[in-house]
Amino acid sequence: MFKELDPILHSQLRLAIMSLLIGVKEAEFTFIKEKTNATAGNLSVQVQKLKDVGYIEVNKQFKDNYPLTTCAITKTGIAAFEAYVTALQEYLQVGKN
Amino acid sequence: MKSEKQLTEQESLQLITSMIQKAKSSYHDRGTGSILWGTVVAIASFVTYLQRQYDFKLPFDIFLIVAAAIIPQIFISIQESKDKTRVKKFEDSAIDGIWIVFGITLFGLTFYQNVVGNVSTTLINEEGWQMMKHYLDGSKPDEVITPFPPSMYSIYILMYAMPTLVTGLAKQFKPMIYGALITYGLFIASCYTESKFDMLFGTIAAIVCWFIPGIILRRSYLKQKNSNV
Repeated sequence: MFKELDPILHSQLRLAIMSLLIGVKEAEFTFIKEKTNATAGNLSVQVQKLKDVGYIEVNKQFKDNYPLTTCAITKTGIAAFEAYVTALQEYLQVGKN
Repeated sequence: MKSEKQLTEQESLQLITSMIQKAKSSYHDRGTGSILWGTVVAIASFVTYLQRQYDFKLPFDIFLIVAAAIIPQIFISIQESKDKTRVKKFEDSAIDGIWIVFGITLFGLTFYQNVVGNVSTTLINEEGWQMMKHYLDGSKPDEVITPFPPSMYSIYILMYAMPTLVTGLAKQFKPMIYGALITYGLFIASCYTESKFDMLFGTIAAIVCWFIPGIILRRSYLKQKNSNV
């Protein structure tokens, strides 16, 4: 019996955001935008979805009079990411066999 | 990148790998700090060696340039912190802490070196004895040693290797790992040589630990910067 892949993570942009954040302490919105090649609007929507399920924390502040948004993965997010990767490995293992 | 595009398991795995790799290679130290410290420590050590080898003395202590390098380092740190805020990695604050502790320890060692000789002389004089230099062949009369200056530069060389190796291992940056390992070798060699050669070893240590890795970091940073334009 396979675990169902987390539908929140099993989408291209949200998985890309989580994969970027898994290895860093925190990253600026502009950094994520640059690395994912997503539009600001699309990225904002997906960041909000990840925030709503508690996978990431979003911190908004001002730096040199410009808004600065930083994102960091939460413990819930790490657990969900690990579970997603484990499930993925199971699927791939079966595919090989 | 589209948000709701459903991925195959294989595509998911490729995406995860590629994004982790992007995050990993996203930040490069500018290398400016490493080049600065490598240069000043190498110059100070080498000039000290020349002074002792050719028996001349500058009107000031050449190691003051190392202390003076703190001023440009402050500006470098401010500039680099602007880059770092785009993405902060887990090891960044730990590595910064190690270099701050390293700086404090070096100042502590310098303080020790300048104070303990005189204090020891005062204390042993109070006990009613003094240290003498006695020539075994009797060619020269005995001399009082005031203060007794132990050769400390081997300890400095040992210290140079420590934060360099930690940074190299944490960042998986081989030039710093090799630089630190060479420096441990220089430390061992310096324990068996005359103290003026310790200065020469210190010059090599500064070059391999900081100057060369700094140049490599700088080239890598500029390459990445240009590719982002």
